[in-house]
Amino acid sequence: MCCALAVPLPVGTAAAIDDQQFNELKDLVTKLGQKIEKQDLRIEQLEKTHAQDAQVHAQDQKTHEQDQRKIQELQQKLEETQQAVSNVQTAAIAVPVEPLPRVPLDEATVNHNFSILGDAEFQYAKTSGQHGTFLFADFAPIFLYRGGEKVLFEAGFDFGLQNNAPNSPGATTTINLSFAQLDYLMNDYVTLVAGDMVLPLGTYSERTAGWLNKIPDDPLPRDLLPGAGVGAQLRGAVPLGESGKLINYSVWGVNGASSADGTGNADQLDLGGNVGLRSDNAVANLHGKPSGGARVGWFMPFKPHYDLELGLSGQSGEWDNAGQHLWSAGVLDASLHLGSTVEVKGEYIRSCYGSDDHGNVRPEGWWLQASYKLVGLNLDWPVINNLELVNRYDSIHDGLGTRTRRYTLGYIYYFSNTLLFEGGYEFLHSNDPTQKDQLIFQLSYGF
Amino acid sequence: MNRPSSLKSRLWTGAGVAVLGALLYALSSVFVPGAGAKAEKKTEKRVEKKPEKKKLSGAELYSMHCNRCHPERYPTERTAAQWKTILLHMRVRANLPAEQSQMILKYLQDNSGR
Repeated sequence: MCCALAVPLPVGTAAAIDDQQFNELKDLVTKLGQKIEKQDLRIEQLEKTHAQDAQVHAQDQKTHEQDQRKIQELQQKLEETQQAVSNVQTAAIAVPVEPLPRVPLDEATVNHNFSILGDAEFQYAKTSGQHGTFLFADFAPIFLYRGGEKVLFEAGFDFGLQNNAPNSPGATTTINLSFAQLDYLMNDYVTLVAGDMVLPLGTYSERTAGWLNKIPDDPLPRDLLPGAGVGAQLRGAVPLGESGKLINYSVWGVNGASSADGTGNADQLDLGGNVGLRSDNAVANLHGKPSGGARVGWFMPFKPHYDLELGLSGQSGEWDNAGQHLWSAGVLDASLHLGSTVEVKGEYIRSCYGSDDHGNVRPEGWWLQASYKLVGLNLDWPVINNLELVNRYDSIHDGLGTRTRRYTLGYIYYFSNTLLFEGGYEFLHSNDPTQKDQLIFQLSYGF
Repeated sequence: MNRPSSLKSRLWTGAGVAVLGALLYALSSVFVPGAGAKAEKKTEKRVEKKPEKKKLSGAELYSMHCNRCHPERYPTERTAAQWKTILLHMRVRANLPAEQSQMILKYLQDNSGR
């Protein structure tokens, strides 16, 4: 303050200053003093702000340094990763790739060797002169178990339902063992089959029954033959060249036909009851000798979907308990495919057996079935393209005086390759008054 | 009176038919491939060999054997392991030769669901 007062006043003029001037000067000095105080305050604030800025700057600098360090670390890691990838790639190029060892799951795990096939049917029938009815629901699974490369066990069951009326209330569920056989591949040309086997008398039992059949009912003359038999069989096929031609064969021995009541009366012939274990638990054949049978087939393809197969088969053996009478049957089977739309197949069956009361009985019959898939018409209609028309003629003479001829007109509608809706009307001509015309619908599923 | 003119007309008709026939023959040998060379072909010796029948593939064998008895089953419907079991069943049931059965199995497994 003193310096500020001393500096602006010249020395020579001090005596001449009056009070007014002094007061003016005093005010001026006071104002200047205030101004200087304000400037000091401002400088102080600026210094404070500067200090704060410096602090912020210092923090920023610190953050920046940290970021730089992080970037350097990441760059280093990236370099390391790239180096590792490069090393792996180099190693992969240098060392040849070897396949991973295959874990034999299908051999070691039961579930991989086990499969279920089969079919299920649901049928509605209306017989002439009777009420129409939902006839049955049938479930027929086939269980397959493969033991390694050469052994297969297969068993087919048939679950059905039957009314107990009029004798008792309710219904009975029936479970039948259709077949249970063990297959052993001895070599490329011979397979040993043992157990309760489907018999290759003709091809119907093995290849056409169930959902594979294009008409809900079995052909009538199939009643002249056993579907299965307990015994052993050798079978196989021999290819003829590379074009697909082949000869197949089967030779078997089974317990064979038997008598339902043990007698030799013709109406007691039982084609499917002789399983080796009697109802009194005795382990014995129902007659002295087993039956023997064989089939030989010749398959000749012209090209895929065009083929012809002819087969000849037969079986013969004792059937009555006394072993006095033989039962024999012969079957000629044929199957023709002309493209994927036309199929014709049939069998001629002839049988002969001796009896106590009717002498030699000679039943015979034949059936011929033709089908055509309408997709062959090349019409672009979805419903038509899923339809197949089927017709069959079958005839049977039981050798005891009953003759029946049947003509069936039918269809199959394919919902898919495994779900089929079949239907047919059967025109019957028979001297047996219980045989009547029938309308049948069937929903079939194969799996 | 009419006789000479009738004979003349018949001669002209006959000549016309002959010319037309010759013309048709000539045209046929031009436009029908190989018609003129028929006689030559007869005298040629047939030196061409019969083309050898190629070995059937697994797909063809599958189409040939499986569709004989049932509608086509798609390979994707089963796993490779299941096909192995099922083919063993079908080899016995349908009396398939071993090699053909293996080729069908390979086709089904190669195109199976898993």
